[in-house]
Amino acid sequence: MCVCCGILLGSLSSCSANLPIQGEVLYSEDSASKVQYSIVCVIHGDGDYIYHDASGNEFKADEEAAASAKKVARQNPNAEVFIFHQRPRQHFLLFFPLRDGEFFYYRNGQLIANELYWRDNKQSHFTNEVEFYRRFHVGNKFDMVSMFLYYGHEIPESGGVGYDMSYPDRAFTVDDLVSGLKGFTTVSAKYDLMILSTCFGGTPYTIGALGSFARTIIASPDNLHLSYLDMNSLEQLNLNLRDGDVPSFAKRFARKTFDRLTKDIQTEVSVAVYDMALVQEFLHAVQTVYSNTLNTLKGEEQFSLTTIEHCDCADLTSYQLPTINAGVEVFYRPAHFGRSKIKQNHSGWECWRNTVP
Amino acid sequence: MKAQITLGIIVMMFGLAIPANAGGKGEIQKYFNDAANKVKATENATEKRTILDESLKGMAKVLNMVQSSPFISNEDGTAIARIKASLQEKQNELTGNNGYQRVPDTQLNNFSNYVVQSMEQAESINISLVALLLIIILVVLLV
Repeated sequence: MCVCCGILLGSLSSCSANLPIQGEVLYSEDSASKVQYSIVCVIHGDGDYIYHDASGNEFKADEEAAASAKKVARQNPNAEVFIFHQRPRQHFLLFFPLRDGEFFYYRNGQLIANELYWRDNKQSHFTNEVEFYRRFHVGNKFDMVSMFLYYGHEIPESGGVGYDMSYPDRAFTVDDLVSGLKGFTTVSAKYDLMILSTCFGGTPYTIGALGSFARTIIASPDNLHLSYLDMNSLEQLNLNLRDGDVPSFAKRFARKTFDRLTKDIQTEVSVAVYDMALVQEFLHAVQTVYSNTLNTLKGEEQFSLTTIEHCDCADLTSYQLPTINAGVEVFYRPAHFGRSKIKQNHSGWECWRNTVP
Repeated sequence: MKAQITLGIIVMMFGLAIPANAGGKGEIQKYFNDAANKVKATENATEKRTILDESLKGMAKVLNMVQSSPFISNEDGTAIARIKASLQEKQNELTGNNGYQRVPDTQLNNFSNYVVQSMEQAESINISLVALLLIIILVVLLV
């Protein structure tokens, strides 16, 4: 009886904020000195994330990504890994909201903390995540390799209402992710590698905005299947990244993911690696024209949605510049079916065009 | 006895912690995945083609009905129109109409996967819960 009451009380008390579900494991300060890699992984799961493999088996993309991230964390004895799993909101007894975020912190391959938390449903999207980050982060060391991973649906560049299924009135855009990144980085530091595992991540605006926080970005300019960019290259970083050459590692990562995706996926596959120092000239050159397109979208959201579609920037005259390929390595294979199956190349930059002549 | 009743109540309470968005869009994806499984389960190309044809037409019929429903907003109407157009393209490719080369018999399994994957892609389906529920109900009743 007492056990039952305990469970019930435990369930109800979960309605109060900031109560750790699983306590923190004690760790020595000495463990911080062994940390050579710092990885922050945000996994969005508050939406439609079901997909099927070629054999018809059903998967939840966010659960699969979370499992992969935990494996990465366990397989890296010299890393700290923050995992934020943003889940759909659930209710206990239909009325009492339950926590809709789960945080994991691994250091040197060991799980140090696992807490359920409230995702911030106000203006800022990452307040609680940043708080966890600041509480556990070992501090920046000059030779530490840092990575930021985002796994979820396409992050809208404007609008963004309804991104979270549990919060249909709330918007989430690239600018909101940028605000969050400000909390995850210090003033001067940049992530060595950012992995954006979403559809249509390779637009001039998205890469330009996120590029302020990263030296190298891996993203998919076109559609990306929900089986996502593989994380297993991030396991055993002591071996896979032993030379410390992050740009080369990023290309190997992209190639490996591309090879896996093209094996089973019938829709288009595109994975691009952006060297942020080298793409700046192109980004500056197209900034105005792309911003004008975005402003049009913001002003005429509903009208535009019916008359615009994504396309390769190289298909548009304004973007056909000599610098379009500078600093971008693209792995691309067209869909096996559909109108675009004859398209053989992709510039690595995704734009918008009118569908109405 | 009291302990058993208490335990029963607690189990029921946990059972009531249902995700707000359970089901929903996943059901539409499941519909096409079921069709793909049937396609792969048969060796006969004509049967494969018929299964694909009927699944595409079935969903298009449902979408037509939902689109004309008074409960559907303009935004949903737009999104549904896009899905319909996408399904029509696939129908055209399957049958070799409207400038498409007919999908070869040997490629029908892959084409069934293409339909599933295309529908699963992130922004393929972006419609409200009301519209989704209507679609699911009609799929169950009519298809």
